[in-house]
Amino acid sequence: MKVTVKLIGPFVQAFGFSEKDLECPAGTTADGLVALVNIDKARPKIVTRNGRAVSPDEALADGDRLVISPIYSGG
Amino acid sequence: MNGWTGQILRVNLTAKTFKKESFSEEFARKWVGGRGFAAKILFDELKPGIDPLGPDNKFIVALGPIAGIPAPNTGKAVVAGKSPMTGGYGDGNLGTRVAEQLRKAGYDALIVEGKAERPTMLYIEDDKVEFLPADAVWGQGTYATNDWIYAKYGKGVGVLNIGQGGENMVRYAVVRSLEGRAGGRTGIGAVMGSKLLKAVVVKGTKPIAQADPEGMKKVGHDDLRQVHQLDKQTGWSIQSTNGVLAWCNEVAALPVRNFRKTHHPDAWKVDGERLNNARIATYGCPNCTMRCGITIHDDEGRESELDYENIGLLGPNLEIFDLPQVASLNYLCDEYGIDTMSAGCVLSFYADAIDHGAVAGDYKFGDSEASKKLLGLIARREGEIGDLLAEGSLRAARKFGHGSEAYAMQVKGLDVAAYNCKFIPGMALAFGVSPIGAHHKESWVITFELKQTSRESYGPEKAKKVIELQRIRGGLFEYMVSCRFPWIELGWGLENYPKYFKLATGLDWTLDDFWTVSDRIYALMKLFWLREYPQTDRKLDYPPAVWFDPTNADTDGPIAGKHLEYDKYDGLLQHYYDIRGYDKRGIPTKATLERLGLAEEAKAAERFGSLT
Repeated sequence: MKVTVKLIGPFVQAFGFSEKDLECPAGTTADGLVALVNIDKARPKIVTRNGRAVSPDEALADGDRLVISPIYSGG
Repeated sequence: MNGWTGQILRVNLTAKTFKKESFSEEFARKWVGGRGFAAKILFDELKPGIDPLGPDNKFIVALGPIAGIPAPNTGKAVVAGKSPMTGGYGDGNLGTRVAEQLRKAGYDALIVEGKAERPTMLYIEDDKVEFLPADAVWGQGTYATNDWIYAKYGKGVGVLNIGQGGENMVRYAVVRSLEGRAGGRTGIGAVMGSKLLKAVVVKGTKPIAQADPEGMKKVGHDDLRQVHQLDKQTGWSIQSTNGVLAWCNEVAALPVRNFRKTHHPDAWKVDGERLNNARIATYGCPNCTMRCGITIHDDEGRESELDYENIGLLGPNLEIFDLPQVASLNYLCDEYGIDTMSAGCVLSFYADAIDHGAVAGDYKFGDSEASKKLLGLIARREGEIGDLLAEGSLRAARKFGHGSEAYAMQVKGLDVAAYNCKFIPGMALAFGVSPIGAHHKESWVITFELKQTSRESYGPEKAKKVIELQRIRGGLFEYMVSCRFPWIELGWGLENYPKYFKLATGLDWTLDDFWTVSDRIYALMKLFWLREYPQTDRKLDYPPAVWFDPTNADTDGPIAGKHLEYDKYDGLLQHYYDIRGYDKRGIPTKATLERLGLAEEAKAAERFGSLT
């Protein structure tokens, strides 16, 4: 299946891309996808799936948009 | 008394007099500084009902026990007065050399009273105070005024000044400092203007008394280095505050078209990546090692320093998705000395009102050239529309009528910051219960709502989180006085602040001691509101009506069909009041006031409004 991954803020520079489409096996979870794009697991982050917060073990679906962001605090 | 100078400078512009006044250690411990000092002084000294733009209002500059000391992000001052925007307690903070210079001159606060006969610049150097003519720069913008002052005194002095917005008493005029800092969006620049006070310049030469100056110096410098390292590790300042714009767009929290929409396909054009790519300089306050200001060229080649709030509200909120055009609007606001956030909301309100037929006009969303012209009219209060929009969105809406008040995006008269809470109940509460009107500086809970609870929830956990953050953001950082960014954006430990406090004052306080001070100040600000609005009720703590309107719900995206619900919001508000010990109107009960050591203030408030 194909999912789109969008990085936010300094993650763009840290992990080398802003947005890209990824082919991944069916059943890939949110956590699995984070690992697939080599985001440091220890790094505080918030992951959303189609604009809504996602739990780490939630299975993704074809066409999903995953956004991985540092945890902003609203300036 | 270590940590505090123990002195307040009181200046009367009418009589051209000044005097130094001492305050007690008890006063210092009870109110600490900054917002605490400002709220207490304004509560004690202002008669309820005075005109915020009249000579009876007071312009306050207040510092705290770690202000100006070389420790992380301590180069900030609080400016305050009765707010021309809201009629309630008003303040703001800004980065400025005044933080250090006023303390070195021997003062923890400055109170300016009365009204000058002619445009005046106040020059303070230690024990000397001069009332100097400022006619040469009256009518000039803040950049020209700053240059004029630097030419006279050099760049090392502390400067607060106003532009045409403050001079003409635009109700959301700000105080400006350095080359790009602003504070007091509750209209404190208009308070200065109403007194014909163009600028305050401060130079101090005395040491700031500290309990352990050597320890403070070592810890301060070490910690500044560590904060800088944290910024390098996380990369936060690469996109700075505007990193959050793309995220808001993804999670349906971006203000678009006067908050009618929560996301837009062109938002990427003004996001943090584009801002960083356009960067020509980086800007920060004194004692800062995680500089947040990103300067770019605007569409006329001028340098303009941007952050998320001004991009969000002068960009997507006006449906302008060209970064140099947004920078141009930001430049003009800075030059005129008017609040970028309220200016964005006022312009978007005006376009919306025209769009809905509440008022005739040809101004439209997306028109940056027309927006530039309007900002000039507002700053000069030129023509009927410039004069009216200078009053802010709520007052303009009341004039327009036709139900337009419903889409004036404000709380208590102060326009909303750049977070669209159409379906973010906790953040809507944070705006609702902010003690100065809708401002994000008090509490910001959006990631908490999405990550650690559910967006749909109206549960007590959200009220509790709002209070927790108010105690820190609107409390600790506003009375110490220090920038909250190292803590909120880099995770710099809160435990460092009692450490700095002890090095400065010698007092060994726990964080709980600080939270008591925060709660005391919040309760006093509420009493200030009660005296001004004795018939107040909980509706004053409601966010804009448009967020509750089902016909305004998104038609696509993650919150399609969703909107806030009145009964549920009211329940969330009640959770907040219950935890705080406030009554059903949102006023602290007598028992709460007693617990916080405010029995005397309660008596003073009861002469104007009832307590339960």
